[in-house]
Amino acid sequence: MDFSYSPQEEGFRTDLRAWLADALPPGWGETVFEPEDEDERAMFRLAWEKKLHAGGWSGINWPVEYGGRGATLVERAIFAEEMARVGAPEGLNIIGHNLAGSTILRHGTEAQKQYFLPRILSSEDVWCQGFSEPNAGSDLASVRTRAERRGDTFIVNGQKIWTSFAQYSQWCFALVRTDPDAPKHKGLSFLLIDMKSPGISIRPLRQISGECEFNETFFDDVEVPVDNIVGDINDGWRIAMTTLAYERGPEDALGRQIRFSQELEKLIDTVAATPRGDAMLIEDPIVRQKLARSVTEVEVMRLNAVRTFSKYLNGDDRGPDASVIKLYWSHAAQNMYEAAMDILGPTAPIAAPDPLSAGGGRFQLSYLQSKAFTIYSGSSEIQRNIIGERMLGLPR
Amino acid sequence: MNFGFNEEQKSLGDTVAALLADFPALTGPDPAQARDPAVWQALADLGLFALLVPEAHGGVGLTLVDVALAIEALGAGLAPPIAASTMIATDIIVREGTAAQQASLLPRIATGELRIALAMLENGQGYDPDAVQTVMGGNGVTGSKILVPDADIADLLLVLSRVDGGVGLVLVARDARGVSIRHHADIDPSSGLCEVTLDGAALMDDALVGHAGSGDVVPRLMDAAAIVYAGMAMGMAARMLDAAVDYAKTRVQFGQPIGAFQSIKHRCADMAVAVEAGRSAAYYAFWTAAENDPDRSRSASMAKAYCGEVARDVCNETVQIHGGMGFTWELGLHRFLRRAKVLEHGFGNHVWHYERIMAETLAAQAAGDKAQAA
Ligand SMILES: Cc1cc2nc3c(=O)[nH]c(=O)nc-3n(C[C@H](O)[C@H](O)[C@H](O)COP(=O)(O)OP(=O)(O)OC[C@H]3O[C@@H](n4cnc5c(N)ncnc54)[C@H](O)[C@@H]3O)c2cc1C
Repeated sequence: MDFSYSPQEEGFRTDLRAWLADALPPGWGETVFEPEDEDERAMFRLAWEKKLHAGGWSGINWPVEYGGRGATLVERAIFAEEMARVGAPEGLNIIGHNLAGSTILRHGTEAQKQYFLPRILSSEDVWCQGFSEPNAGSDLASVRTRAERRGDTFIVNGQKIWTSFAQYSQWCFALVRTDPDAPKHKGLSFLLIDMKSPGISIRPLRQISGECEFNETFFDDVEVPVDNIVGDINDGWRIAMTTLAYERGPEDALGRQIRFSQELEKLIDTVAATPRGDAMLIEDPIVRQKLARSVTEVEVMRLNAVRTFSKYLNGDDRGPDASVIKLYWSHAAQNMYEAAMDILGPTAPIAAPDPLSAGGGRFQLSYLQSKAFTIYSGSSEIQRNIIGERMLGLPR
Repeated sequence: MNFGFNEEQKSLGDTVAALLADFPALTGPDPAQARDPAVWQALADLGLFALLVPEAHGGVGLTLVDVALAIEALGAGLAPPIAASTMIATDIIVREGTAAQQASLLPRIATGELRIALAMLENGQGYDPDAVQTVMGGNGVTGSKILVPDADIADLLLVLSRVDGGVGLVLVARDARGVSIRHHADIDPSSGLCEVTLDGAALMDDALVGHAGSGDVVPRLMDAAAIVYAGMAMGMAARMLDAAVDYAKTRVQFGQPIGAFQSIKHRCADMAVAVEAGRSAAYYAFWTAAENDPDRSRSASMAKAYCGEVARDVCNETVQIHGGMGFTWELGLHRFLRRAKVLEHGFGNHVWHYERIMAETLAAQAAGDKAQAA
């Protein structure tokens, strides 16, 4: 066990720090923030991602031959720490980097890798995930969107739902039914679909928070070249399981942990600057207990991720521990936002842009957004089934 | 960076677990039967107490991280507390002791000749070491200590005491003049909890460990003990989880194993997540203590607060999953419930440690702001 950094790793940190100091807009996080408007914010995040790429900091953990940096585990952890330290913006193409890219790297043909991976790294292509359907959520294997092979193309018909960022995406990876007569897990295929294809339409869906990040996506006789299948025909379930392992795994958790630790630091700063009666709110022992619990849980999120990375590096397979990671961070983060609302007390309901909102109203928005954590990427109930059955061996 | 244990570290854990399993009374239903002196001797013969002692003093020269899994095993096996206490005291003597103390004590610790109990808490004083009233003066140590695990079978007492206006640790022989010991009536009779009254208790030669007041000796002791207790709590929690899962697989009601019911399965899954999370916190803390990393106190407090809560919750759930069986004396789950309470309140409970985390976090955040402003 060793958490220390070599001179080389410290060098990596110094380079990244220097680059960040230049790359972020002056006053970032103090006087300059992300745009309020949803679309402008998306474009701001995309521009930031492109900047990271131009600086050589995109997909740092990917192999060098596909444009990555082949970063070590330590470098990834340093990257996460430094991004957190400066409160760097999030990206827009998270699904591209973390899910599409990782799945293509693992199962794609050489031609697919050569074509898609550099375009993901540069965020020239933003990706969305076409898994869920109105009647196939937790029971993902019952998707009905059909893909029929005709010569060199698949003809796709059906509907996906909850498709996050479809409105900004050039590409979608989708789980579709290619054999309706086979048992449900055995008739699925994994297709890469160009969102510009004729026959695709999307309709935004409004979320709890009032934002419209996700959509309904309709496929009406959409033609997809057969070359755009990942894995074999009817082997899509196995490919999709890889995608889910990354969606729930330590890479994803470490990225999120950055955001949560920033928000927690902001919460602590806010509480430290908030008067309550004759004292400051931060002096309230109950407030301090709640904050400290979240400090601990957010730190454990990081440690869980690093510990699981180490297991993979030491030769263990990706298994149900991804579910352990996901179940943990999702509830810990929800606890943190619930604690934030508790701590703010009487002014907790005041949101942006009210001048009296705490921390610019971010906690109210984040609180609402946090409700999704235990639903997407496999709901908590599904994660508990996986842990119970596959890790602990309990009967089905 | 690597957050895994090597083969040697894992095998130490397995060896201690196997040894303790040879003493079924340790985890048997009757706590009064669980204080078998042969356990100490067996652990000593195994060389457990030599592990943290430097080679120059006849030991193996390992660090806390090397023994993390062995400590988990001590927790899981409900080993006599004096084993952990002696290891914590060893860490302090190795890190902070004078050359003379090291030369005289460490070789005897390594062979298992010296058992050391930790005398910290006082009636009416809470958990804070700075609030200690016991005082070391010209004619010995005077004060009254409570909840000292295994004080009655110790050779030495490491006593938290006011020294020259500060707070420090002093060594007193258990059979020294002015020391009297009374057993508490308490929730876990296997922990050997005692009240120790020091009435001008005679000091050993060279009794003061490290520097009083200014030095790191008391914080180091609190951290090392918090981490060792957290490790033991995780050993217990993992063992209780296994018990719950085994029972859920075999107990049949309504024609199926109860583990097929989601309300039971999901509880087990939540416990498994809590055990993994607690281990992440504990293992990291073992590492910070081994390296004396700047994050040591914060991570020790995180581990102690968090793992204490995890062990408590897992013990509670395990009783529930066992139904009426869980409530019986005979099954012995109560032994873990009892010990978990003792560990939870030793060296600061979660409330005390969460407050300490907050103080550390605010200090770090202020230092960070200052650095950014500069
Ligand atoms: C913000 C957000 C973004 C999303 N983005 C995407 C995306 O980009 N692409 C995409 O494909 N999908 C996306 N999803 C969809 C998400 O994956 C599904 O919502 C999720 O899998 C749950 O499916 P469902 O909504 O149909 O709920 P259901 O499956 O109907 O579940 C309803 C409730 O029943 C419980 N339940 C279901 N089955 C069981 C069981 N066997 N045992 C116990 N309880 C059970 C669930 O846990 C849940 O509490 C997104 C969802 C959200 C909220």
